[in-house]
Amino acid sequence: MGLVDSPHGEGRGRQAKRKRKRLGFHIDMTPMVDVAFLLLTFFMLTTTFSKANTMEINIPPENSEVKIAETNVMTFRIAEDGYAYWSIGEEPPRQVRLYEDREAVSLSREVRQMLLQQTKVNSKLVIVVKISDKAKYKYLVDLIDEFNLMKIDRFSLDDFTEADAEAVGMLASSGTEVPDQP
Amino acid sequence: MSKVKSKRIGFRIDMTPMVDVAFLLLTFFMLTTKFRPPEPVQIDLPSAHAEQKVPESDILTVSVSEDNRYFMGVSSQTSRVRIFERVIQPRLESGGMSGQSVADSLQSFKLTESFPVRKNELGHFVTAARFANQRLRPVVKADVHADFEAVNHVLKLFKDSNILTFTLLTVLEKEMR
Repeated sequence: MGLVDSPHGEGRGRQAKRKRKRLGFHIDMTPMVDVAFLLLTFFMLTTTFSKANTMEINIPPENSEVKIAETNVMTFRIAEDGYAYWSIGEEPPRQVRLYEDREAVSLSREVRQMLLQQTKVNSKLVIVVKISDKAKYKYLVDLIDEFNLMKIDRFSLDDFTEADAEAVGMLASSGTEVPDQP
Repeated sequence: MSKVKSKRIGFRIDMTPMVDVAFLLLTFFMLTTKFRPPEPVQIDLPSAHAEQKVPESDILTVSVSEDNRYFMGVSSQTSRVRIFERVIQPRLESGGMSGQSVADSLQSFKLTESFPVRKNELGHFVTAARFANQRLRPVVKADVHADFEAVNHVLKLFKDSNILTFTLLTVLEKEMR
């Protein structure tokens, strides 16, 4: 029995051994995979792909002078009260609301329509932006953003002087030139 | 009996593809992650539609925080060393600091991403940075709620040191028109 059995048993044993060597080669990879997933989730959660965007600005040098006809100049003054005052040439300034409400991210429709209209009427229009010192930085960014969207590149920044404050302040107190405000 | 046993023990799924993908993603995230250096203040950038990206190297960042404080940073270490030698070193030496401690503060200055600057000193630092590296690209990183006056001060300083092209940092505005 044993003699008969032994080759069988041996054969089966060898077969099983070889089989185990080929297929049964298992390493428990669970800890490694656990660590890999831990790191993966860490990197996925900490990575932010957002890279800040930029807006390029060119300012004219201090001692450069360009002569432009008065009718081609629009003065756009921004006061700290959230109103903008625009005028062409020596016209009295007209008041527009800069934002529709406090939470608004972009300029009001009035301002946008006015800018579109005026640049359409006069393609040579140069916009001089004067922002009051007490105004917010946001106003500048939003305005330049709007200019970029409308492809208006003829604008420049200028100082908000006493005279500007007076022109704007006068208007705010008298309120005669104020267009229909809701 | 054997059926039950095979159900219990022989339950194996080949996880190799999943592990492959996991490792692929892991290496991707590990290689692309760049840890953001700690900033002295949190700055909320204004939103705009501009899509240009920040240049990779040679940047001079002037930050204006919400409460109108100024911070300055230069991206390259050689420029930082030059700024230190030009502005900070004479000041420390006139203050009676020993050579060793000046060298120590140079070492720590070399690693500072951005440092606070007083308003009246900012111009001095901007010109020093300009001397240190002509090709520095100035970037203004101002908080949405900063006052225009504070930002305008930086713009005027740039104008004075003949920097006429610079960029404002913004975040992309979601609303499209």
